[in-house]
Amino acid sequence: MSLAIPQGLDNTVEQPGERAPLVLGDTTYHDITESVCRVAERAPSKGWIIGFLISFALLQWLGLCILYLFYEGVGVWGNRSPIFWGWPIVNFVFWVGIGHAGTLISAILFLFRQEWRTSINRAAEAMTIFAVICAATFPGIHVGRAWLAFWLAPYPSLNLWMWPQFRSPLLWDVFAVSTYGTVSLLFWYMGMVPDLATFRDRSKNKYRRMAYGLLSLGWSGSSRHWMRYEKAYAILAALAAPLVLSVHTIVSFDFAVSQVPGWHTTIFPPYFVAGAIFSGFAMVLTLMVPARSMLNLEKLITIRHLDNMCKIILATGSIVGLAYSTEFFIAWYGQVDAEIFAFVNRAFGPYWWAYWIMVTCNVISPQLFWFKKCRTTPWIIVVISIFVNIGMWFERFVIVCTSLSRDYLPSAWAYFTPTWVDWSMLIGSFGLFFTLFLLFCRLMPVINMAETKSTLAKQYHMAHNDEH
Amino acid sequence: MSDDSNEKKVHGLFAEYDSVDSLLAACRRVRDAGYTKTDAFAPFAVHGIDTALGIKPSKLPYIPLVAGLTGTGIAMLMQIWMNGINYPYIISGKPYVLSIPAFMPVAFEVTVLLASFGAFFGMWALNGLPRFSNPMFTDPRFDRATDDRFFLFIDAKDQRFDAEGVRQLFADTGSQYINTVVEDDTPKQIPRFLLIVWALLVGFSIIPALIVAKMRVTNSDKPRFHIFMDMDFSPARDAQQTTSLFADNRAMRPDVPGTVARGQLGDGLDYLTGINVDELSRMDSPRAEQLVRTFLKPQDDDEADAAGPPAAPSAEQAASADQTASVMDTTPWLKENPLEITADLLDKGQEQFNIYCAVCHGRNGKGNGLVNQRAQQILAQQWIPPASLHQDILQQDKYPDGKLFSTISNGIRKMPGYSGQIKTRDRWAIVAYVRALQQSRRASIDLIPADKREEITQLKTEIDKKLAEQAEAERKKQEEGEQQAAKS
Amino acid sequence: MSEHSTEAANPSDSAFKLPASLSKLALPLCACGLILLLLGWGLGNYHGGRYAMSVYLTSFIYCLTITLGCLYFVVIQHLCRAGWSVVVRRIAELIMVMIVPLAILFLPIMVTLWFGEGTLYHWDSSEYQAANHIDAEVWETKSRFLNAGWFFFRAVIYFSIWAGLASFYFRGSVRQDETGDKSITDQMQYWSGPAAMLLALSISFAAFDWVMSLAPMWFSTMFGVYLFAGSMLSAHCMITVVAFILQKNGAMRDEVTVEHYHDLAKYIFGFLLFWIYIAFSQYMLIWYGNIPEETEWIYRRQLGSFGVLGLILIFFHWMLPFLGTMSLYVRRRPTLVFGWAVYVLVLHYIDVFWLIMPETHSGTPGAVANAGGVIGVIASVLCVLGMLGLLAGVVLRVADQTKIAPAGDPRFRESLAFENI
Repeated sequence: MSLAIPQGLDNTVEQPGERAPLVLGDTTYHDITESVCRVAERAPSKGWIIGFLISFALLQWLGLCILYLFYEGVGVWGNRSPIFWGWPIVNFVFWVGIGHAGTLISAILFLFRQEWRTSINRAAEAMTIFAVICAATFPGIHVGRAWLAFWLAPYPSLNLWMWPQFRSPLLWDVFAVSTYGTVSLLFWYMGMVPDLATFRDRSKNKYRRMAYGLLSLGWSGSSRHWMRYEKAYAILAALAAPLVLSVHTIVSFDFAVSQVPGWHTTIFPPYFVAGAIFSGFAMVLTLMVPARSMLNLEKLITIRHLDNMCKIILATGSIVGLAYSTEFFIAWYGQVDAEIFAFVNRAFGPYWWAYWIMVTCNVISPQLFWFKKCRTTPWIIVVISIFVNIGMWFERFVIVCTSLSRDYLPSAWAYFTPTWVDWSMLIGSFGLFFTLFLLFCRLMPVINMAETKSTLAKQYHMAHNDEH
Repeated sequence: MSDDSNEKKVHGLFAEYDSVDSLLAACRRVRDAGYTKTDAFAPFAVHGIDTALGIKPSKLPYIPLVAGLTGTGIAMLMQIWMNGINYPYIISGKPYVLSIPAFMPVAFEVTVLLASFGAFFGMWALNGLPRFSNPMFTDPRFDRATDDRFFLFIDAKDQRFDAEGVRQLFADTGSQYINTVVEDDTPKQIPRFLLIVWALLVGFSIIPALIVAKMRVTNSDKPRFHIFMDMDFSPARDAQQTTSLFADNRAMRPDVPGTVARGQLGDGLDYLTGINVDELSRMDSPRAEQLVRTFLKPQDDDEADAAGPPAAPSAEQAASADQTASVMDTTPWLKENPLEITADLLDKGQEQFNIYCAVCHGRNGKGNGLVNQRAQQILAQQWIPPASLHQDILQQDKYPDGKLFSTISNGIRKMPGYSGQIKTRDRWAIVAYVRALQQSRRASIDLIPADKREEITQLKTEIDKKLAEQAEAERKKQEEGEQQAAKS
Repeated sequence: MSEHSTEAANPSDSAFKLPASLSKLALPLCACGLILLLLGWGLGNYHGGRYAMSVYLTSFIYCLTITLGCLYFVVIQHLCRAGWSVVVRRIAELIMVMIVPLAILFLPIMVTLWFGEGTLYHWDSSEYQAANHIDAEVWETKSRFLNAGWFFFRAVIYFSIWAGLASFYFRGSVRQDETGDKSITDQMQYWSGPAAMLLALSISFAAFDWVMSLAPMWFSTMFGVYLFAGSMLSAHCMITVVAFILQKNGAMRDEVTVEHYHDLAKYIFGFLLFWIYIAFSQYMLIWYGNIPEETEWIYRRQLGSFGVLGLILIFFHWMLPFLGTMSLYVRRRPTLVFGWAVYVLVLHYIDVFWLIMPETHSGTPGAVANAGGVIGVIASVLCVLGMLGLLAGVVLRVADQTKIAPAGDPRFRESLAFENI
């Protein structure tokens, strides 16, 4: 195995038998440290400040809306009979889906020994956690009485000594999302400890040193520590991989265990998981492509990284497309009236526009990634991945609203109309997400330095082998 | 630095390298030279360093394995016990204990959660971290161990340790920088301001808890705070309240004139009350008058309301009847059920009894329905056990059908009246069914057609035997339980 | 890495020839296999023509899943430009070309549709609709999809896709043995994306057609994925088994190392998890939703001995091998990995059996309580051993004419030097 020689910063070409470098230029270990630490050490740029102010303002708006919701009750949303699950659940599923890419990159790509994960996993994991926070907001407030959320904990209620209902998919959700959030946080933090030690050792300021010193737990880089660390990392990866699948599977159970036409279909678990990975990678690309050029990280997050992520989007997008068509086929094949109606109604009923936005964005737009030109041109990537994000939001909207608005009882049929609070909360949740993400960029190592260095070490080794 | 080493305790020696290969080569040399208490420091996990240094594989994987299996066990038992045994829920007809598929998601999540905790905390524990004071950190040059330099360390506790020899060995491996590791003598106390901040934070975080605690034990005649309106102030009007919505300002709306409740047209007063009203008027005319006035309202009267008013005076009256009952009940109750007793009627009565009465009185009428069982289980203090319907004083000769009907309609003691829920005819059906139920406990074998007697007697002996066994078993179980309770 | 690559830099050519001890088995295996297959089918007729054909279909689907799994394996390796797997890839390539003999073995199934009305598939019989009180309009719509002509047409499409892909990848790989031309790898990689999608679609629909339609009124969107999971699992097991047998017979002694077994074991472990994930999700959704037209299929599989088989699948197809292949100790011992692979292959047969055989007796629920008794079991075993033997003979015949490792692959050296830890 030898190292391919890249053309400038384009490392997408790889002759069979060669492996393309993932760290470009004459980068040394120290250059990696420099380029990553610089992001957090220098004064914030103007772009960052403006971005932060906007997202922070949106976050405040979200907070106000939530207070208004608590004060006034859930009537401020557009949720009306029979569409009791309106935008809140759509937003929840959307954000949980986004939260899948991070742990997928860290865990599953780790298990498959995909080394290109090293320079993107940190930011992706951070996104995961922030997306899970955004997601958890919606079920937290969806009954309008957030302070009673402790009813979901398995404790005996005070008067009747009764317990939560464990046969309910909504309770599974609680366990799944909170476990996922916790494990992702552990995984993220554990991966960050060696890098926080780097921050600690570079800091000039006493308090900064103390803060990073506390966070890095006294990490010294001892090889015994590294050995156990690697082992624990591998175990966490092996645990997180099925966990990622389980989370969106359980979210899909929310729908699929019911008997609502269009929801009750067995393909939901894998199809939801594929969709989640799809939207997660799209969000990673939406953020990483601008970030890498703004933070001057082109040598670490290379075109090859983008190329690979685009391929995953293409693959998962096609799986999602396959699932859409399988659902349609089986609805016809099964010959159950309600199912046939549900699917025809999706495509040609009152929500036809949402359905076709979804198909266009999710199935058709990623097909552009068959062309290498599209996979390697940053602005095209950003445009397509934004389309995918829109499409995936609409997918959840289509699933929730079309089926509920046309239930078994025609006299109850209705059309969903969002209110301004619905809109504000959707936009505000982006404020929450971006606020956290921008803070992360300033305070934490945005790239996994330790792992990128070990990738670089392997690259040195390969180059060294070539000479002999 | 090296000057200080004379005064301070020496932990060992370390050398710096600038590449992985030179570090690995040095490690192998040190290992081959027989040193065992060694360690290498690198900014990333170096491939092959374990063998180069002779580090044994970790036992770490067992921790998450055990933790994970514990999680599965806890989660499964918890769910089965909570939802299948302690408080059995029926949800969409799924089995209580064996709803295994429905319990899998939570079991899986808890497994992964605990296993992850095991891996995460186990790793830090085995690594002896967090440990903020480390002699290695005394040399500023060691800061580069997290950047781009590699260090090899030999502990002074190593049997073969000899400062000069080690220094020489390090020099031979091509290290550019060799130094001793000395005791970290920087102050070990936590900085004062951190303690103050911590104390303040703890202090402030207790305040809300204290306020809540105080609120819970003090009385106040002021209304509660209502930060959020919740459902305390429903915009819907209560009974007897006023509203500006209607011209007469009443929130309760009277029936539209001429309304007749379904099936109530032409029902006699006896039928509605269970009392022989003619008889009553002869005995106690004011009471009869009151009764008549309650039930027979003129339709054009504004006061008319089908369900509301009768309940109140009748309950009052029932209560007075009840009071006198201990002395002597003179009310001329209807002795017989005014309806014709048919199989259909009894079926109806059984259905209604099982819906409304059985929750407390039990399907067999013995007074041990589910509500009562639960009340006994949680030792509810306010609970008055429902009466057994098989008592002597409730038999037809002592407790006429009309009285039973009145009790169902108006309630007795803690039992509320059911005239609002159950239709008049159905209440009579229940009366008939209760009689049948009572009969079932007392009937003699002569009532059974001659050709079936043999079969029945045989069945009875069998059942009696089984019941006796069961009772015996239960008695034993109870005794054991009591013994255990006594022990504990 | 460097230590390995020097010692295996010039692998001797003889290591890549099929050992004579195996190549001489080709004809006897074919002959015995054919005889056993016919015997099994003949014995199955004891329970009637439908039973015999179901036994045959079970064997066919069993072999087909392994073959398609290997085809998918090869496509995925190219899609991911995998390096580790190159030394064992030829094994998968040799198995995947068995799609051609399997196409011939499919003909008996078509014969039942053309000549024996309703012998195997209920939708082919005119009485089924009346016996099960199915709405005429619904049945009419169903028949537009499920009829012999269409069915045959679709089968031809599936087999042409599979045979086309198999021969493309097999020929390319064999050509590379001689020329070592890197552009062939490029070409194979180029087509691997569309190939993977085409395969996913065709496998899913083939599963609907050949297995799911045995119960004509039942449907599950997940069904194709379920069969796919079993197919990937059994393919990895089969590759392990073949690699181990080849090594025992003296081929590729130094080339296939502990590291490759370790990786194969990890994939077996992973696909066990994937299989139970799909199986559980499908069961869970049907169990929870509790809609009669769906539960009927599961119910049928919980009666009598099929219920026992279902439990065996949970505990012995998943739980036992899952725990068994979890530890590093097992994964790094080729003999143990081989043992588990054989074990899972046996259990995979039970899985396919459980999918197909309950539909043997139909119309009267409750009649499926037994799986055919001793004679039925013997017939099934004979049939599957026969078909496996027949195909193994053909594999050996093909392998004898080519190498058993793609030594011309540009990533061959990378694969030799591959290390897990």
